[in-house]
Amino acid sequence: MKQASIEDKLAVNKYTIDKDVHIKIDGKICKTCDKHYCLYACPAHCFTLSNGGITFSFEGCLECGSCRIVCPNRAVDWTLPRAGFGISYQYG
Amino acid sequence: MQVFDAIVVGAGPAGSACAYSLAKEGLEVLVVERGSFAGAKNTWGGAFYGPVLTNLLPDFWQEAPVERPIFQHRYSFLSGESCLSVDYTGPRFKSRPYNGFTMFRAKFDAWFASKAQQAGAIIATGLQADDVLKNGGRISGIRAGGDELPARVVVACDGVNSILAQKAGLRGELLPGDVKQGVKEVLEFPPGEVARRFNLFDGGGIDWEFIGDCTRGLPGGAFIYTNKESLSVGVVVGLKSLVETGIRADDLLEDFKRHPAVAGLIEGGRLVEYSAHLIPVSGLGMMPRRLYADGFLVAGDAAALVLGTGLALEGANFAVSSGIAAAQAVLKATKESDFSAKTLCYYQKLLEESFVLKDLKTHQKAPHFLENRRIYSLYPKLACELADSVFTSDGKPRKRTWKLLREKMKGRVSFYRMARDLIEAARAL
Amino acid sequence: MNIIVCVKQILDPDLPPAKFRVDEQSKRVIPPEGIPFVMNPYDEQALELALRLKEKNGGKIIILSAGGQEALSSIKHALSLGADDGFALSDEAFDGSDSFSVAYILSCAIKKIGNYDLVLCGRQAADWDEGLTGPLVAHRLGIPVINLVREIELSNDKLRFTRVISGGEQVFDVAAPALATVTNEAPQPRLPTGWGIIAANRKQIAVWNAGDIGADVSLVGGRARRRKLTGLFVTERNRSCEFIGGENVLEAADKLAQRLNQLGAIR
Ligand SMILES: Cc1cc2nc3c(=O)[nH]c(=O)nc-3n(C[C@H](O)[C@H](O)[C@H](O)COP(=O)(O)OP(=O)(O)OC[C@H]3O[C@@H](n4cnc5c(N)ncnc54)[C@H](O)[C@@H]3O)c2cc1C
Repeated sequence: MKQASIEDKLAVNKYTIDKDVHIKIDGKICKTCDKHYCLYACPAHCFTLSNGGITFSFEGCLECGSCRIVCPNRAVDWTLPRAGFGISYQYG
Repeated sequence: MQVFDAIVVGAGPAGSACAYSLAKEGLEVLVVERGSFAGAKNTWGGAFYGPVLTNLLPDFWQEAPVERPIFQHRYSFLSGESCLSVDYTGPRFKSRPYNGFTMFRAKFDAWFASKAQQAGAIIATGLQADDVLKNGGRISGIRAGGDELPARVVVACDGVNSILAQKAGLRGELLPGDVKQGVKEVLEFPPGEVARRFNLFDGGGIDWEFIGDCTRGLPGGAFIYTNKESLSVGVVVGLKSLVETGIRADDLLEDFKRHPAVAGLIEGGRLVEYSAHLIPVSGLGMMPRRLYADGFLVAGDAAALVLGTGLALEGANFAVSSGIAAAQAVLKATKESDFSAKTLCYYQKLLEESFVLKDLKTHQKAPHFLENRRIYSLYPKLACELADSVFTSDGKPRKRTWKLLREKMKGRVSFYRMARDLIEAARAL
Repeated sequence: MNIIVCVKQILDPDLPPAKFRVDEQSKRVIPPEGIPFVMNPYDEQALELALRLKEKNGGKIIILSAGGQEALSSIKHALSLGADDGFALSDEAFDGSDSFSVAYILSCAIKKIGNYDLVLCGRQAADWDEGLTGPLVAHRLGIPVINLVREIELSNDKLRFTRVISGGEQVFDVAAPALATVTNEAPQPRLPTGWGIIAANRKQIAVWNAGDIGADVSLVGGRARRRKLTGLFVTERNRSCEFIGGENVLEAADKLAQRLNQLGAIR
């Protein structure tokens, strides 16, 4: 079986994308962080490292809550997406 | 403004079991579920070990959207390209009422919630509880959809990330060391293909767990569950160990899918969903000390009522059972018109008397024991190497198995260490 | 002011292509199992305009939807947002109806309700994008129709419609009753409130059949179709990437032009 990229995987899921972002990160803190646990915690690769800083895109979020609890610097301001938005599983 | 007899937050197995039990007794129950339908936000392995549910809904499986009754349990040790398996099947698993079923949460939870609705509960989907209402020291309802919704009692069944248990002050932040992350793919096959590949012509299914290289030695494992015409394939790994080693669960899943013991079985499956969720695995070590407060109860994953022994990962049946116990406590409180902690503590007593807290107590040492890395790297490797030697016929005279084992252990683990691990295993599991 | 909003339940437009199957043989879209239908987003915007009118001028909002079980969930959603009442129009005889028949069914129900000032529809259904139903309902009712409406006000007993045109707007004053189809430039729909969802759950939604609304069954259903769908295809889209180089820019450009020509992209 050929290796599936995370984009391929997320592309089969059903999302209703909100215009409001439900998870915010404090980029200033991230610049000073050398651990970047968020990169490995997120099963949807929503966090990416660029120029020593973290960028976050919420579109593929699976709402698992991992990033909420792994950040040692509490730079992740985590909430659930508004009701009616986000991931909607067909199987689960 | 109307005051509900009870508000249940979350329509997972805990919430629907609770709401169904309360509505059946004529209480005015509101269930608040953030998904656009019950189950929309939920994922798991999964196999439901169902006897607890038959008390509530006898023969539920004849009506519920289950995939396959589980006839077979299989455990495999993975090391490199090797795989050593133990497989159990027995007549008891093949007769009704079945012991367990594979199923999909988006389908099952929707069905279970519809049962609660038929019993008279209001299932308000697409509604998210944002906070609890407090009146003096007591919890008097919730805030949801910009409105205040008052209730005599609130039962928080909002899962592992429970916001309500936290807002009610029963629980602090989750710790990465207390949860495992599960990622899963559903792979769909043409009709009949799953049965053919897994020899499932009697309609039954397999609950197959893997341990060893599939997590690169991190605490956790991998699984394959057979559904009607699809497979649920995933890995479950300690979140703390993932981030500390810089390994991603979805990379482990990709490795697992390429393992020779697995690759052929899943070849050609069409990916139809990718999901992830956390599991609270520290048992009593993370459970809130009190599962009740004035006007408030917490059940299921929100209370960390999950049994993870390594051999089994069971949460849904614990959720159902705790949901029912919560309902019993609410009924008692309703009868006595007293929703203070003094009456609601009956809930915890019920749990202590049931398998929920008894099992967690019995396996109290399991979470700690399961942190032992040798379980995930050295022992699967030893087991595979031993099997390799035992089964190899290379023209050289054979050694006794015991001697082989001693040789293989040399320099890797002392006899004493292994004996201690064994004793600990015996105590924990 | 009494407003009737016609809503349609459609396959969720947020579905990823992977979940969506078209059977070219039977010319049907196979809906994915277990994923609920949703209210057509343009209809949600029509409802939003109705809610705003009601908030300002009082009155009543009635929802009509033709369809089976899925219609009920769209009506429930509308009730949770603040509509007062809703009726599902459902009958075996309606199965297979096209836009012309659906418009007839809706117009029968609207006539039955009788007392109305304004009928609202979405500009089109986001599934087939035909945009026929609204104008055809107005035609059946014999009332004026304004399409692509962004805003509605009550001004001196007249309905004032602001209509979007390319690079500008038109404003029409029309005596009630009238029908408007609402464009996506209208305000975004609100989210339901807690009490709204609870009230909608409690409400019994009445189902009207052909007899209830006095519909002539020879004008509805598959047999009344005068258009025959003879083809339904998913257009295949392929993406690929080629690098075209050359000794210098001119040569590369030349090769690129040749390649594009070869592919039929330029002539
Ligand atoms: C990968 C994986 C594999 C698993 N395998 C198994 C298995 O094989 N067998 C087994 O028995 N268990 C298994 N489990 C555990 C099992 O899934 C859980 O223990 C079980 O689902 C807990 O049920 P619950 O009702 O407490 O919580 P959940 O099922 O999580 O339900 C919580 C509900 O609350 C809703 N909710 C959350 N917050 C809010 C809010 N603020 N407002 C409104 N609604 C809200 C959610 O949408 C959800 O519907 C597995 C878990 C995972 C992650």
